[in-house]
Amino acid sequence: MRLPRQPGRGWLVGGATIAAALLLWYVLTSLTGIISSYRFPSPPEFLAALRQIAVDGYAGGTLLQQTLQSLRIVIEGFLVASLVGVPLGFLMGWSPRVEALLNPVFLLIRPIPPLAWIPLAIVWLGLGDGAKIMVIWFAAFVPSAINTFTGVRQVNPMLIEAARVHGATDWRLAKEVIAPAALPMIFTGLRLSLQASWTTLVAAELVGAFLGLGRVLSIAYRDIYPAMIAVAMVTIAIAGALMTQLLARIERMVIRWR
Amino acid sequence: MALTQDTRPTTHWAATPSSRELACWSLVGAVIFFGGWQLIAMSGLVSQYILPSPLAVLEQIYQLEAEPFAGFLLHQHLLSSLERFLLGFLLAAALGIPLGLIMGRYRLLDEIVTPLFEAYRYVAPLAWVPFAALWFGTGIGGPVMVIFTGAFAPCVVNAYRGAQLVERYLIEAAQTLGASNFRIMREVLLPGALPSIVAGLRVSAGLGWQSLIGAELIVVSSGLGYVMVQGQSNLAPDIVMSAMLVIGVVGLCIDVALRAAERWLSRRWGRV
Amino acid sequence: MGTRVSRIRFDNVSKLFPRGNGAIAALEDVSFEVEDQEFVTIVGPSGCGKTTLMRMVAGLETPTLGSVLVGDRPVRGPGSDRAVVFQQFALFPWKTVGENIAFGLKSKGVSRSKRVELISHYLKLMKLEGTEDSYPHQLSGGMQQRVAIARSYAIEPEVLLMDEPFGSLDAQTRTIMQEELIRITAANPRTVLFITHSVDEAVYLADRIIVLSRHPGRVREIIDVNAAREQDGWSARAIEDVMETPSFTHLRAQVWKLLREQMSGASE
Repeated sequence: MRLPRQPGRGWLVGGATIAAALLLWYVLTSLTGIISSYRFPSPPEFLAALRQIAVDGYAGGTLLQQTLQSLRIVIEGFLVASLVGVPLGFLMGWSPRVEALLNPVFLLIRPIPPLAWIPLAIVWLGLGDGAKIMVIWFAAFVPSAINTFTGVRQVNPMLIEAARVHGATDWRLAKEVIAPAALPMIFTGLRLSLQASWTTLVAAELVGAFLGLGRVLSIAYRDIYPAMIAVAMVTIAIAGALMTQLLARIERMVIRWR
Repeated sequence: MALTQDTRPTTHWAATPSSRELACWSLVGAVIFFGGWQLIAMSGLVSQYILPSPLAVLEQIYQLEAEPFAGFLLHQHLLSSLERFLLGFLLAAALGIPLGLIMGRYRLLDEIVTPLFEAYRYVAPLAWVPFAALWFGTGIGGPVMVIFTGAFAPCVVNAYRGAQLVERYLIEAAQTLGASNFRIMREVLLPGALPSIVAGLRVSAGLGWQSLIGAELIVVSSGLGYVMVQGQSNLAPDIVMSAMLVIGVVGLCIDVALRAAERWLSRRWGRV
Repeated sequence: MGTRVSRIRFDNVSKLFPRGNGAIAALEDVSFEVEDQEFVTIVGPSGCGKTTLMRMVAGLETPTLGSVLVGDRPVRGPGSDRAVVFQQFALFPWKTVGENIAFGLKSKGVSRSKRVELISHYLKLMKLEGTEDSYPHQLSGGMQQRVAIARSYAIEPEVLLMDEPFGSLDAQTRTIMQEELIRITAANPRTVLFITHSVDEAVYLADRIIVLSRHPGRVREIIDVNAAREQDGWSARAIEDVMETPSFTHLRAQVWKLLREQMSGASE
């Protein structure tokens, strides 16, 4: 969360903590059996399940296939949502009239948690990928639109005055001043959108899916296979973290002046 | 009313239209949206089993309160959901806020807890549902645990940041006035971090409410989420949508209440 | 003076701060004594370690070498026997004036009724009647600093440490506060260590002045003011008159000369 003053010590303590946690896990499960494997898997069980799904596959595919399937849907939903949300947010930020026009719709949609769209999506689009993309769309749309809107509105007025003084037209103002200045907040919105997409997908797949990490999770639950549940959870966490890092990297490349 | 109520930014590059004109635009937008929706539903272009009209949705809310659906009346489902939410949310705050404060004050604890915390943070709250169901069965523990995992992180993070923002000289002043560490935590760090904590509670409540709905789609037999699932399996989108409306309204109320708390705090103590 | 009790003692104190791969010395081999109920001001060029010195007495920093003793006991951390008045006032914004003053009293286990009594006593002393239920942000800078002083005074500490307490006040308020401080310390004598940038302030308030050299801080000279004060009867005069007496001007020039020498980098 923050950089330690002595750069070495943070990593050391962190590493030690993780090692200690793993040791504790091992002791509580395999060694002493205090926590029965019905409730929580032991390290050997975890590794066995990992091996199983990685090599043989589980709930319809190998770990790689399931992960890719989930990632595919997330990215599809996320892209569609951002491609609509960012321009729309920009437009609303630019024009108070557009904002006023669309306000009622936002007011209605915004408080509804994305997951609450799942049953409706299933009614409308069945149990396939379409329903999941719809739900992800709702999850990802709002953060990217709102953050873009805020980013546009919070542009430093001095920059705008400077541009006007230099004779910038509306189009140039938007393209060369406002868009770049709003970019950090836009990326914040994208980051939130991506996280929301991923979280929502997992939930959607839990409810009903043919393939994907959420499906692995739900089948493992049905089969009462805690080790596999754990494998799915860890994969979900890692995939989520990797996507976030990737986005951060892209942001750093795009916003080079920060 | 601005789109985001947190900031009220203005457009500097063009004359801002009068608020009356803006209100008209909003009215137009509302009319187009709801009117259009109502017309489409009434016209029969789309079956009412797919898209019920706005009026049908409102009527359904009344219906759900008049006759039991999926075992209970609407207000009973609502109370069921609220009960789970409050338990999970309050537990997350009661554990998360002290933890965040202590981590903010004592670097060693920060270094110890952070790796574990980061690992937990990347797991989507709903991914805990299978374990929650495995451990708690169909009791209230399952949903509460899922809500807890959703609401916990923002509480910790915001308490942590808040504690770090407390000016060092305030803590030193307390020390030179002979206060014990516990008193410093309670009378300096906690109030000092309070604005940040309350902001975090808002985020926490939002995530907790979401996690609640998610959990109620799967492992429960009462509550607003359950109503939606039942509506879905009965292919009754009007029921689904009326539950969605109630969910949205309640979520909004919670957010408004916390926002008001934030404002009251900053007025009283004169700091943001 | 020589037979009075030593309240604060620095024995060959050095303080190093780690910086990058090495260390920076804030103070180097500082030794001096402050007697009981003496008012000592500390001046020196920027970065000479005056604040560090005070913080060591407060127990907020520890010496790297040497020892700091208060009342013959080595300092082991902050405590209410050494109260600090910070430059930023450090009043708790979420507590009222009364609650701020009560804070230290609670640490000492003072009963509620006694607290109420003490609070109104010190508010009266600092001319702050009626502010008991106000919040700090509702008061002016001068009033806030007076609350800070009241808060430190209320716990009746052995030592009062003041780090440029009037630094953020405007010139007129500052002068008034200086007079107030003289009045209060005359009525309730304490051992005081007072850090300041202002030479006038240092001379006006002090029994003795410690002049520190520029970084790394060493004791350049200790100037006795008390003799002049008694001789010319400063306490009977208003501050503007005091500042015109020859003894004051002489002392002020003396301190200025020392400081200028530090600032221009001449040999110590």
